[in-house]
Amino acid sequence: MESGAGSRQHDHELAELLNLRMPAESASIAAISDAISGCLVRLDIPQEKQLEIGLAVQEALSNAVVHGCKKDASKEIHCRLQRDPQGRIAIIVTDPGPGFSPELLSDPRHGENVYADHGRGVYLIRQLMDEVHFENGGNEIRMWKY
Amino acid sequence: MDINVRKRSQVQLIQLRGQLRLGAAVDELRQTIAESLGNGDARIVINLSEVPMIDSSGIGLLVGFLASTKQRGGSLKLTQPSKFAVQTLRMVGVLNLFEVFDDDDAAVQSFA
Repeated sequence: MESGAGSRQHDHELAELLNLRMPAESASIAAISDAISGCLVRLDIPQEKQLEIGLAVQEALSNAVVHGCKKDASKEIHCRLQRDPQGRIAIIVTDPGPGFSPELLSDPRHGENVYADHGRGVYLIRQLMDEVHFENGGNEIRMWKY
Repeated sequence: MDINVRKRSQVQLIQLRGQLRLGAAVDELRQTIAESLGNGDARIVINLSEVPMIDSSGIGLLVGFLASTKQRGGSLKLTQPSKFAVQTLRMVGVLNLFEVFDDDDAAVQSFA
């Protein structure tokens, strides 16, 4: 699910509902996350899906702030919310960082990882969303909820 | 996030309201629990009934302080987590690390 191949298969006829930028600081995440949640409410997305998308967005923005930008507020994170004609929701979060290799992440449920205080964000995103793609060397995540 | 702390029968009962996520919410809860541990209070109950969402930083905080409290002879127990919070904790494989109760009284009495 992480490869870029095929990740743009939905890109035609996408309606852009939100196009937001934020400084790379944790205090700015809530405003973006809440704006997306508000948009999902207006779209009449079922509440369970709202929660799942909301948490995935939270995790993607957190990763961008903490790992992509090392909490450097002079850097900027870009977040877009799109919808295709079938009503499927896409979220794209881009940071200016060096990217990462998602295939190297370990399963947080295994062994001593269970007791770790970090390392669950990407795993959660994969569980919460229906499609997840990492692009541009890992500094852009595109995730879909059907 | 609103954080309300009460002490009942030598147990710190922490009531949260709002989303437990990266930023002020996690920072403030970390400080609250750290102060409790600093005062020698390692018996902690966190009421999650008004916490609709917990992100990975919140989960990491809970797991980390669960270990810290146990090292001090106490524990960190949860009460009334929302359906989505339970789903999230289960998803990442940490739900069964915690004792989870339907009400605060039962959680507090479990330390006796």
